[in-house]
Amino acid sequence: MHDPDPRTLLRAREGDLGAFEDLVRQFQGDVWRFAYHFTRDRALADDVTQETFLRSFRFLSTFRGDSKFSSWLFRIARNCAMDQMRARNMYAERVTPIAGSAVDPQARVELHAALDAVSAEHREPFLLVEVFGLSYQEAADVLGVRVGTIKSRMHRARRAMMDALALEEEAR
Amino acid sequence: MNHEQAERLLSARIDGERLSSRQTVALEHHLASCAQCRAFERGAYRLREAARFEVAPAVPDLVDEIMATIGTAAKPAGLRVVRPTRLPPRRLLPRLAPIGAALLVGVLIGSLIVGGPWHRPENGSALAAAEVADGISAAAAHLDAYQATFRIVEADLSPDVPERDLTMRVWFHAPERFRLDVVDHTEYPAPTTPTDLRLVVDGSRWYASGPAACPTAECPQRESVVRNRLPFSTDAPIPTDLVLPISTLADADRLTVLGQGTVLGRPAVQVEVPFERARPLFPFVEIGGDWRPFFANDRVRIWLDERNWFPLKWAVYPATGAERDAWALRFGLPDEPSLRPVFTVTALDVSTRTPSPGVFRIPASAMSRDQGARSVGLSEVARDVGFEPVAPRTVGGLDRYRVVVPTDDTARSLIAYADGLAFVNLGETRTWAGTAPFGPIGVQAEEVPLAGGGIGYYEPSTDLHGRRLSIHAAGTDLYLESNLPRPALLAAAAALPVRGLPMPDAWRVHEVAGATIERVSLEAARSAVPFPVQLPRTLPAGFGLASVELVEAGYGNGVTLYFRDRDADAGIGTIRMHLEPAQALPPATSASQSAVDVGDAHGRYTPDRSELEWIRSGVYHSLDAPGLDLSELVSIARSIGAGV
Repeated sequence: MHDPDPRTLLRAREGDLGAFEDLVRQFQGDVWRFAYHFTRDRALADDVTQETFLRSFRFLSTFRGDSKFSSWLFRIARNCAMDQMRARNMYAERVTPIAGSAVDPQARVELHAALDAVSAEHREPFLLVEVFGLSYQEAADVLGVRVGTIKSRMHRARRAMMDALALEEEAR
Repeated sequence: MNHEQAERLLSARIDGERLSSRQTVALEHHLASCAQCRAFERGAYRLREAARFEVAPAVPDLVDEIMATIGTAAKPAGLRVVRPTRLPPRRLLPRLAPIGAALLVGVLIGSLIVGGPWHRPENGSALAAAEVADGISAAAAHLDAYQATFRIVEADLSPDVPERDLTMRVWFHAPERFRLDVVDHTEYPAPTTPTDLRLVVDGSRWYASGPAACPTAECPQRESVVRNRLPFSTDAPIPTDLVLPISTLADADRLTVLGQGTVLGRPAVQVEVPFERARPLFPFVEIGGDWRPFFANDRVRIWLDERNWFPLKWAVYPATGAERDAWALRFGLPDEPSLRPVFTVTALDVSTRTPSPGVFRIPASAMSRDQGARSVGLSEVARDVGFEPVAPRTVGGLDRYRVVVPTDDTARSLIAYADGLAFVNLGETRTWAGTAPFGPIGVQAEEVPLAGGGIGYYEPSTDLHGRRLSIHAAGTDLYLESNLPRPALLAAAAALPVRGLPMPDAWRVHEVAGATIERVSLEAARSAVPFPVQLPRTLPAGFGLASVELVEAGYGNGVTLYFRDRDADAGIGTIRMHLEPAQALPPATSASQSAVDVGDAHGRYTPDRSELEWIRSGVYHSLDAPGLDLSELVSIARSIGAGV
């Protein structure tokens, strides 16, 4: 994921709404997808995305560039998603029928079944790394854990999901 | 190597993590003989395909909704002129240096580098900084109309565009009609959206347009429109510093007079301020388009017409030092010598002719943001909000100009008074139920006595607000917000037909996390704690004690002192000093803390909070301010109790 032009970031930090709008345009898709994977609810993902940008606007002055901007944004998105789900009392694991994507519904349902088969602890790094293309370091920044933890969780997530999808049947 | 280890390494390699060559060799060796692990690798790639290509749902476009929420719920921005929250260290104490010395340095440098007509000032003819600041404040109230054309030359926008050439036109008609046009004449090497901008304000309506500041060469146009604008709104502001640099130069502590000369054939005086203070002179960079970056400590040298204080020419000179170099590197700027201006605005013509009304016509636009201020006649206020507001004919010598009430049902009134560029907003409510003074004023505001016996609560001007004063009176709450100097604002408030009372207990006393925080007088605080409460003898220029709080927790009483600039908050913010009995510093909370000597005591510095803590004579001291660096904090800390 590309980080924004430093000038845009600087202007946004200084309160330039136009520059901030550019950041929203650049990152809304990733933030929404992340929120959606996290919440499994389109309306909730919309709310989380809005809240994420609102918070990031308020706290932009505290972003010091220690991590990538996208990691920082995802960390906010994750907190927003957790708050929203806590507020709706739905932080427990849940499965929702997925709608709205144009690809093979069977494969989608299966993949989601597989995602549901792993714990949130393993699903989160999997989504960040596999779907959003973050490096282990960036995923570690977002989740507030060490790189080594990401490494082992990625491995266990893959193993568990392959088992659930029976992707290895030829070898068994 | 077992399956578990091999799969872990495979998993990391699939994700693009680097393996050592030893690991790679071992892994390949294992894979060559292990079908199960080869299947894991194939499976992982199939999983990736499934995840990347099938999980992605259709993403909605939320930009408009998000920006609307931010526009209304977040701190107002728009054209707001803002500074970075954490400024690079600045020289605080040298500000106390005599003007003569600063003048001498300025004259030497000035005579070397300032092009154009320049006369060496005669001895003793130099103006003092205070004369400049007072002159500008005095001129503000009498300026009725203005129009001018400027040329802007900008260096180092990018390697491909080493120099840009633009024209800026400005029209003003008091109190709230303004227009600014920027036309970009630069010949770009590749197709590029020119930085053509427009800002038009006509009382209750505000319009800005320009290209978005986007990373690509061709950028979409943006329009921003505000209706039902609040009088003298800081959210949809008028950049009147272009006409008279009131906010840039009204504070004599923060400007250096360099010398006198002639610009545009007029007698002129040259002053210098750091860029972060001079931002109001560069409002166009906030409207849109692409502009070069500026460093907070870059020096801005401004030539002012000595007769009417109009800015005639201003230029940005790069600051020197490692920090500026590192900053420049981040922006990919070339080496910029400190004696060559990187941005120059020069007046081509300036006059006080009244612009024709058509100049301020707001272009038609579909989208607009409502600030919720409905203009009404003074006689209609009582019907709309249920009370007769305090509404003298003049406040602070300024005439009543506009009366607004909220478009929602809030029972408040706001009456604007103006003359030239000077304004006072007078807000009032009869049903204030807040736990702090009414208006944009905090509970730590300075308590000031008003002539005639009343009391008000005062805050200095900031980027977001003018100087403010809240008055809590019997049956009503009022606030004033103004760009008048502090003494003039206090005099205007004293003349109102209300008598300010002290804060009620509901505002003074707060419960926070098990502690009771009570706003008290310094004397009351001193008698409530078993240790001496001494004030620092060194503070930044213009700072004074604003308020005192007694903190009553289970383990003993502490005291918190708040120091603020009396006039304008120029980036340092509130200096907070907390004292309580303790024998040792609390546990460290940040990885970046460092040990510091504070006179005879050992202290601890936490840069991310700009906080210095130390223990002296069984008392814990904590000192923090958003805009102070370590050496400044230490010099304040050392002045506490020293030699007393």
